[in-house]
Amino acid sequence: MKTKAAILRARNTPWSVEEIELDPPKAGEVLVKIVASGMCHSDEHLMTGDLEGATAPLPTIGGHEGAGVVLEVGPGVFSVAPGDHVVFGFVPACGRCPSSASGHSNLCDLGAITATGLQLSDGTSRHHDKDGNDLTLAIGALGTFAHHTVVHEASCIKIDKDLPLDKACLLGCGVVTGWGSAVYAADVQPGDMVAVVGCGGIGSNAIQGAKMAGASVIAAIDPVEFKREKAMEFGATHTHASIQDAMAALGDTTWSRGFDKVIMTCGVGNGDVLGEAFWLGGKRSKIVVTNIHPVGEASIAIPAVFLTVFEKQLIGSLFGSGNPRKDIPRLLELYTQGQLDLDGLVTRTYPLEGINDGYAAMNAGENIRGVLVYEHD
Amino acid sequence: MGESRKCRAAVLRAVGAQWQIEELTVDPPVAGEVVVQWKVAGLCHSDEHFVTGDMVPPAEMLEAAGMPPFFPVIAGHEGSGIVVEVGPGVTSVAVGDHVSASFIPSCGRCRYCSSGRQNLCDAGAGAMQNGQIVDGTTRHWLNGEPVKLMAKVGTFAEYTCVSEASVIKVDADLPLDAVALVSCGVATGWGSATKRADVRPGDTVVVVGIGGIGINAVQGAAMAGAKRVIAVDPVEFKREKAMEMGATHTFASMEEAFPVVAELTWGQMADKVIMTPGVLYGDMMQLGTALAGKGGTIVVTAIAPITQTESSVNLFELAMYNKEIKGTIFGSLNPRSDIPNLLGLYREGQLKLDELITRRYTLDQINEGYEAMRQGENIRGVIVYE
Repeated sequence: MKTKAAILRARNTPWSVEEIELDPPKAGEVLVKIVASGMCHSDEHLMTGDLEGATAPLPTIGGHEGAGVVLEVGPGVFSVAPGDHVVFGFVPACGRCPSSASGHSNLCDLGAITATGLQLSDGTSRHHDKDGNDLTLAIGALGTFAHHTVVHEASCIKIDKDLPLDKACLLGCGVVTGWGSAVYAADVQPGDMVAVVGCGGIGSNAIQGAKMAGASVIAAIDPVEFKREKAMEFGATHTHASIQDAMAALGDTTWSRGFDKVIMTCGVGNGDVLGEAFWLGGKRSKIVVTNIHPVGEASIAIPAVFLTVFEKQLIGSLFGSGNPRKDIPRLLELYTQGQLDLDGLVTRTYPLEGINDGYAAMNAGENIRGVLVYEHD
Repeated sequence: MGESRKCRAAVLRAVGAQWQIEELTVDPPVAGEVVVQWKVAGLCHSDEHFVTGDMVPPAEMLEAAGMPPFFPVIAGHEGSGIVVEVGPGVTSVAVGDHVSASFIPSCGRCRYCSSGRQNLCDAGAGAMQNGQIVDGTTRHWLNGEPVKLMAKVGTFAEYTCVSEASVIKVDADLPLDAVALVSCGVATGWGSATKRADVRPGDTVVVVGIGGIGINAVQGAAMAGAKRVIAVDPVEFKREKAMEMGATHTFASMEEAFPVVAELTWGQMADKVIMTPGVLYGDMMQLGTALAGKGGTIVVTAIAPITQTESSVNLFELAMYNKEIKGTIFGSLNPRSDIPNLLGLYREGQLKLDELITRRYTLDQINEGYEAMRQGENIRGVIVYE
């Protein structure tokens, strides 16, 4: 079938919205009519080349935070059927590999194949440009910057049909990543003092997660005033424009004990910034690295002696260390109960053709989350 | 060394008796001890367990163990006060300091204290026996007759002499009735949810019994991010209070709660069940464990009759559904870190304490206060000393 997609043909060039040819799903695959896709910073990393070498070769279709309606399933697909509403997990969850089987499906072995941008089932492409050239799927083998896509069953999480897909799409990446960074990776406990460094689409949800887990102090750090204001709405108790400001206020915020948990959710990770944030943590603190550092970065400015003498813990977290099949439905239930704010996350919506405007707004610090919403006939 | 002090105390002389106000003589502290002038004492159900006998070892058991008779006793283990005298070698508090009682001593040096389990401090072993923690001798007399203090604290007296391990210094600007509540009931309930049950964001939690402990389990579960906090109590007033403290649903009995919990959770049942009735009878555990789903946790906080040895648990389900039943004392918290931490949350407005106190009594009104508790009229009554 023919559909439309936003394609990256070269690094540091705008997304090109083109008509593409989409093959029908093969065994284990699902054809989905996408209704909405979040515009995550990770796709911007793709454009700038921060993820060069860890993601699919160009030309590629971006987008990994999507939700839609199943139109057709290939042979052997049992967990979804035509008509079902699904959210894509940007990490697949096969349920069978050692990681999936031990409660860490965010680290599903199929995830390794997503870096090729090819179909997880057989390593070929279903997406082709109008000249017949194969297109890869940039992150998660999903390609949600398109009106339709074909993905593996392992990437499809069925959700209730009464949920708004333009909000549910955020569960595929940003919301669980942020919320889980606080709840699972940092293991925030009632009474904890928590610092969240960077308050975009991930950090906002880390704040929500920390608040829900009972943190007594949540210091939100972001240079953009609008994001600091939003952070207070999501549950922050203090805001600072910089890590230096937060350091200067440690006496007031933590009685000089330092934070119990520090969660790094900047737009781009940076070894020097991580080194500064490391000082925010107190004895036995956990410093969670959720944001993406450039693939080529090889050093971080941390005085390692404090890992030992203060027993600080440096913890990486992918997808908030959550499990897509458990956490996507679970967090949607919290949304329907009014315990998780998704509506407040979406600053603006755009059609597929507005994608470059959306990323420009993100880079200008104007959006917590921009969402592409597709009109279908 | 100072002089002995004479003061008033509520004394229990037999199971089923009334509390009597008698004159108490308190000897001065020896090394490692302090004298506290109690300002507020909570009327906790644990003290009532002496009246009903639930927590009184049978006379034949004591005799077989070569121990003296249980009575008389000065109860009260939830309290706050001011240090008025310290013995030699006391470093953690000084005269004039405000302190919380710690009904579990925390010596800070035994195997349990040293491994983050101060609620199991070895110095707590003799809590129901006569004599002081430091040397086993007597400091408290009723007209020449030795009297024991509940948990070696005895907050139902105007003054008592206790081990340094039994008092936790608190900030002097905190209201002493708030401090008193935290010293037992609040910490026990809150910790039962947050620490022992380890309630996590999104969990469904059932709290069975909404008194001074259960209300704080509700509060703790809500703070830990529970999606649903389901409070079970036969008394309407307590169900209303539970809603004010964070419950999302209430039921008068476990029987009523069971089908609705099943419906609310699409048959998955609760993640955590916390048992905090006034007295825990073994047959209550059947529904208590059934309310928890696969992989669920059942926390047993309440006091059960001391001689009860049976409880109704379907062990097939326990195994096949991978459930766990966990006991807890003091909510599995550490008095020396968690009493100040909880008071910090109170100061920040994140923990409700003022709302827990239903009525205030003088020491002379203690029997009235306990009668109100029996009638289900109080979440927590407190004695405020003049």
